[in-house]
Amino acid sequence: MIKIDESTRKQLLDCYKDNEIVLEGHILKLIESTGDQEFDLYLKEAIEKDALVRRKRIDEFKLVQTQNVQLQKSEKENEEIKKRLRDALTTAEQAKNLALGDLEELQKRSQVELIGTIVRVSLWIVCGVGIITTALFGISLFTGVDNKIIESAWSNMFGILLTNSFSIIGTIMGVKYATGGKKEKRCCKCDD
Amino acid sequence: MINSILLVDDENLFHLIFEDACNLLNITLSLKSLNSAEKAEDYFKDIVAKLKKRPDCVFVDLNIIGSAFDGVELIRKINYEYGDNVVIGIISSSDDQFEQSKALKAGAQFWMVKTDEIEPRLQQFKNDFPKYVNRTQNFTVYK
Repeated sequence: MIKIDESTRKQLLDCYKDNEIVLEGHILKLIESTGDQEFDLYLKEAIEKDALVRRKRIDEFKLVQTQNVQLQKSEKENEEIKKRLRDALTTAEQAKNLALGDLEELQKRSQVELIGTIVRVSLWIVCGVGIITTALFGISLFTGVDNKIIESAWSNMFGILLTNSFSIIGTIMGVKYATGGKKEKRCCKCDD
Repeated sequence: MINSILLVDDENLFHLIFEDACNLLNITLSLKSLNSAEKAEDYFKDIVAKLKKRPDCVFVDLNIIGSAFDGVELIRKINYEYGDNVVIGIISSSDDQFEQSKALKAGAQFWMVKTDEIEPRLQQFKNDFPKYVNRTQNFTVYK
């Protein structure tokens, strides 16, 4: 234990009175009480003050620790939310691409179907006109009716049909090639 | 009261808290804190081996970040090379039983879980300390 002499005691007490500065730390526990009430009170207050500072520091540390734990928890939650958002974004992107692909295919298919219908109807009209004109021409030949107009109309029509048939056949072949190519591509995708 | 304690922990902030808790609980008046296993080894090499003056109790962190070896290895070194009758144990935030058994094999006498509520554990340790000195206390985990 440490004994404090009169001069040091006076200086310590004056320092406390004038500036409210007291001894602190482990040394306080080593100072021997002199039996002097004033100095004992000084020591008691200094020890209490020191304990208060230490308690405050421990409490602050606990608070920081708690905040750290909460921060780490929040960070983990944020990461989880970010991951979920990224997954949702990827899924949405995939769905969008799929929908766009479907839409494109649908548009192409309806276009092809429309062309197919036009070609089919045109084919029926051409064949119908050809059959009717040929039938009329045949009837006129067998019945001996004047067939000059029908003959010229028949030959004109067949000339036109012959010319146009190439473009019709070309269109049919084109449509078939387009739809056939699409089917082949799909097969390739399936194989992948 | 324990005459002197050595704390080896990489967390400098924890040094202050540990000192405050020891002061408030009247555990010791002499506490030395080091922040690496190498410094602790040097301390034992230079001071303990030469002056034959060793701390009464050593608290070692399990994972001393920035050190070449961990707390268990440090305990092994202190126990087998320098620490005759030193009460030594781990202070760690981990409560891993595998690590605890490793520490026990290395010569640790206690394991203290380091959380913000350290004071009740230190108080319990203070009460058990005489039994650690005369080797009648079994390996204890303070949590």
